[in-house]
Amino acid sequence: MTELATLMPAPVDLTGYRLGPPQQAGALTVVPVWGPEHAGLVPPRGGLKLRRVVYYGDLELHNGAPEGVAIVPLHIGYIQHGAQNHALCSAALIAAGQTRRFENACCVQAGQGGYLQGRDQWFFVLPLELRAEALRLRGTLGFAKLWDAIAKLNEAYGLPKRGHLEQILTRKRPILTQWQSRLEPLPGQVGALFFVGERFAGMEITPSPRYFADMWMPLVCFAYGVAAWQAEPEPRPAEPYRAGSLAELRAELERDRAARMERVASWLAEPAAGGEWTVEEEERYLDLRLSTVTGNGIAGQVVTRDGRPVYASLFSTRWER
Amino acid sequence: MNMSELLTHFRTHGTPLTLSRRGELAWDDAELHREAWEADPEGYALLALVPGVRQWQRARVLLRILASSQAHLADPARAVLAKVTRALLFGLAPDQAVTALLAVRRLRANHKHTTRAMVAFALEHPDGDALVAARRPALVDCLEHALGKSTARACARLIAEGDVGSPYLRSRLLRFTRDPETALRRVRALYGPGVHNAPVPQEPPVPIDPPREDPEIVTVTNRGDIAATLVHLYRGGPESELRPALARYVAEATRDLPRLAAHVALVLDTSASMRGYGEREWAIMSQAEALRLVLAEVCERLTVIEAGGRPDAPAGATDLATGLLDALAAGPDLVAIVTDGYENTLPGDLARVAASLPGAGVTTPVVLCQATFARSDDLTFRTPAPDLPRARFWHQDDFAELLPWLLCHCAPGRAWIRQTVLDRLSRRVAAALEGGRA
Repeated sequence: MTELATLMPAPVDLTGYRLGPPQQAGALTVVPVWGPEHAGLVPPRGGLKLRRVVYYGDLELHNGAPEGVAIVPLHIGYIQHGAQNHALCSAALIAAGQTRRFENACCVQAGQGGYLQGRDQWFFVLPLELRAEALRLRGTLGFAKLWDAIAKLNEAYGLPKRGHLEQILTRKRPILTQWQSRLEPLPGQVGALFFVGERFAGMEITPSPRYFADMWMPLVCFAYGVAAWQAEPEPRPAEPYRAGSLAELRAELERDRAARMERVASWLAEPAAGGEWTVEEEERYLDLRLSTVTGNGIAGQVVTRDGRPVYASLFSTRWER
Repeated sequence: MNMSELLTHFRTHGTPLTLSRRGELAWDDAELHREAWEADPEGYALLALVPGVRQWQRARVLLRILASSQAHLADPARAVLAKVTRALLFGLAPDQAVTALLAVRRLRANHKHTTRAMVAFALEHPDGDALVAARRPALVDCLEHALGKSTARACARLIAEGDVGSPYLRSRLLRFTRDPETALRRVRALYGPGVHNAPVPQEPPVPIDPPREDPEIVTVTNRGDIAATLVHLYRGGPESELRPALARYVAEATRDLPRLAAHVALVLDTSASMRGYGEREWAIMSQAEALRLVLAEVCERLTVIEAGGRPDAPAGATDLATGLLDALAAGPDLVAIVTDGYENTLPGDLARVAASLPGAGVTTPVVLCQATFARSDDLTFRTPAPDLPRARFWHQDDFAELLPWLLCHCAPGRAWIRQTVLDRLSRRVAAALEGGRA
């Protein structure tokens, strides 16, 4: 479809990455991204494990892989039945065999007792509507710091106004998890751009197809699927093409598809119009740098190696409810 | 109304036939049944025995057959109708059959075949003893309508007096029944003292639809032998063991099915979502592939258009619209799209292309077969072309319903359904002779 190089300014220089044909389902459009594969970086399911919750808002992650640095995905959260679900406000780098404590995590389930254990858990990524607030609060201690935003989100979606993200993630799971079938990852895909309606929602770049495959479900179902679920359009009656033969019909379909692809391509201008970006380094591990980037209407975190991004999770900050 | 519309009606319209306390019949689709009967009595009757037809539709067909004259029909057609009538009499829940028979009485229809049917039901029903106890007045009404009130009562009186085979009894009653001994016992019971609060048998004694596996918990491998074997193959199981078993299961599933003299094009969704994930991985792809293997045996010519990857390596997005156009380009008699229903390149394209076909001069029927994990899957987001005829399937046992529904959309399907049902009737009669029921 197009090169990604000009889409984002430094440090998100995406030279070498390219976009594929978009897929759409309901209000969600996904534009696949292909690009270089970066060795030595552990995918989330491969080695990253929640070891324990020390206290509310305070948890330990462990990189159990024999080698390679684990990039903890931005806004990853863990769900476990009967325990207080938690999410992280920032990405992180964890070396092989290392256990790391996050005292600035946030509970996403007000009033639920019990600590997460390292068993029977699944992970998600915070919904788009909460990501800007979560990123803003990354340096703040306090397990209840996201409850107000969650309560506001629940209220906006017609759910009881409580700091329980579980109301969306678990109770709406049968609807949300359909996104991983409604839209389909492609072989070799390392990232994607997400649009809800016609608006830019987020861009996710991962180090490898394996890493992206691990992230597909949490991203499409929870990070962007929640907003898309709320924006699900009413089905419209099918309007026939004007075609007098099969050949004409095929040509009409191709013409119409090309027009729709162009329309999607026009949406790419939105993230590119991020204006001035500020970059703030958060941590480093050898040649890896984790930075928070903020632009006009866009924010997120990027991991670079030798100045080139290996991981990026950038999202629109205009989705707060 | 063509066959596909009629079968769709039979499969979907399940409103009961009712008789009011005053005996008035409520039959909401009587005109449709009359037209279908008049157009092709034999084909109409056989269609009632297609698996998946609603029981109340079968009751209507029984009513139509019994209420209509067969004087204009040739002997072979009458013989077929007699077999269908018997299959319906004992293939319906007893209450449904009784309603149909009382409706015949209400319509004051009485032909030779009506008499035979009513006598057979009242006196030969496999669960007749329980039925006589539970529905005695209704069965007496049926018998008296069939034989005439005074004749029926005269026969009952003679039987009560010990007559077991006088010329009168033979000519007025026993010649209509295959089992005189049981008939005599049942008539004695019908005209004897009743049984208070006897329960009505609820189940059809000789069900019309083939038995099916209905697991309480659905897994990827309890959805029929073909799909289960495919799942193991896709998981990387031993080919040397699994391939021969697969061939055997497909042969078993298609052994009794006639060949369809038609060219069918199959658009097989092989996109990533067909693989599924977690505990459901391979469930849908394997069942869709199972259908393809069965169709390959049944259809004289089958063209397969794979949309995505391969069945053993599903991949990529779902472009059903292009698949449909490719299938139509092969010039088939029928196009079947087999998919999980998730369309994303781009959504709405299949519906638009399907809606454009009449304008493009394409009259080839197109149907959508939707593969699901279980019977109750939510299809809210999985309806890519709402205006296309569609049916869902999740188990190999569903093929018994799916194949007639699918194939009836093309002209050669009519002969295929006729042959399939006739073969089933023959096997059923043979089995009944062995088993002593019906």
